[in-house]
Amino acid sequence: MNKYIMVIDDSPTIRISVEFALKDLGYKIQHAENGMDALEKVKALVNRKEDIALCICDINMPEMDGIDFIKKFREIDRFTPVIVLTTESDDERILEGKEAGASGWIIKPFQPADLIKVVKRFLR
Amino acid sequence: MIKSETSKFGKPLYILYPGDYFATDGDCILGTITGSCLVICFYEFRKKIGGMGHFIVPGAIGTGGIVNDDIAGSGIASIEHLIGELVKLGGDRRFLRVKVFGAGYNSGNDSNMTIAHSNIRFIHEYFAIEKIRIDRSDLGGDFRRRIYFSLKDNTVYRQVLKNNEENSEFIRLEQEYIDIQFRNKRKTGRIILFE
Ligand SMILES: [Mg+2]
Repeated sequence: MNKYIMVIDDSPTIRISVEFALKDLGYKIQHAENGMDALEKVKALVNRKEDIALCICDINMPEMDGIDFIKKFREIDRFTPVIVLTTESDDERILEGKEAGASGWIIKPFQPADLIKVVKRFLR
Repeated sequence: MIKSETSKFGKPLYILYPGDYFATDGDCILGTITGSCLVICFYEFRKKIGGMGHFIVPGAIGTGGIVNDDIAGSGIASIEHLIGELVKLGGDRRFLRVKVFGAGYNSGNDSNMTIAHSNIRFIHEYFAIEKIRIDRSDLGGDFRRRIYFSLKDNTVYRQVLKNNEENSEFIRLEQEYIDIQFRNKRKTGRIILFE
C-alpha cells in the first residue's frame, strides 16, 4: 500500500515546487489543480483503499476554492491533516480555514525546509 | 498604488508603485515605471478582466531551475498574489495571456546585469511551466520604461525613458523596494498552526 500526500494548487509551478521539497519523505504525491479535481482524486484513492497521509492545499483556485474543498474533504475524512499553503493572509479567510478544519496555514513564499518541518509535525 | 478618477485617458488611472499588484474587472488604465523590476500585464480573455504586477526576483537563480530554487520562490509568490486576485474575480489561469516588461540594467554594472538576466530567465521558465502564452516580451536593455496598460482592449503602451531626473521619485521607491526584497530573499511567510 502506498501513502499519498495530496498537493492541491492551480499553479503547476507551485505543485512541482512542493513535490520537489517533499521528495525525500518517501510519500507518493497526487497533484490536483482545484478543489473539485482534488475531491475526485481523493474519492478515487479512497475507493482503491489507498492511504492519504496529508493534504497541502491552496486557497484561491477556480471551480472550487480551498475553503470549500476542506469542508467537503472533512465530510469524507475527519482526521487527515490539511495544511493550507497560500498567498492569502486575510485574517477572516484564515479563521474560515480553521473552522473548515484546516490544521495549519502557511503564507507563500515558502522555504522547503520550513514546509518540511510543518509537514513532519503533522505526519503520524 | 494611487488612483486618479480623471486622467488624460478619459478613464480612471491606477499608478502602481514598486511591489504593487492589482487586478480589476473595470474599464481603466494601469500604469507604472520600471527600471530593474519586472512588470507583468495579465489579460483573462474569457472573463475580460486583467491585472498588473510590479516585482523583482531578488537574486540569481541556480542551475536547477525555478521549481527548486529558494530565491525564485519569492518571484513565484509575487505572481501568485496577482493571479490570486484574478481568481477572486472569477478568473482562471488557463485563460490568461501575459505581456512582460522591464528587467532593465545598468550596462556598467556586472551584478546588475546578472540580476536582470536572471529575472528574464525566470519569466520564460515560469510561463513555460504555467503554459501561459507570452503575447509581448520587452525585457532587458540599458533604460527605464513607462508602461500604460489599457485593460478593456488589452493594449500596452510602452515608452522608453531617457531622462532619469523626471522620475527620480519612482527611481528612489524602486531602489527601496529592491533593497528590502534582497534583504529578505530567502523567506517563508507567516506560519500558523491550528492546534
Ligand atoms: Mg492559487
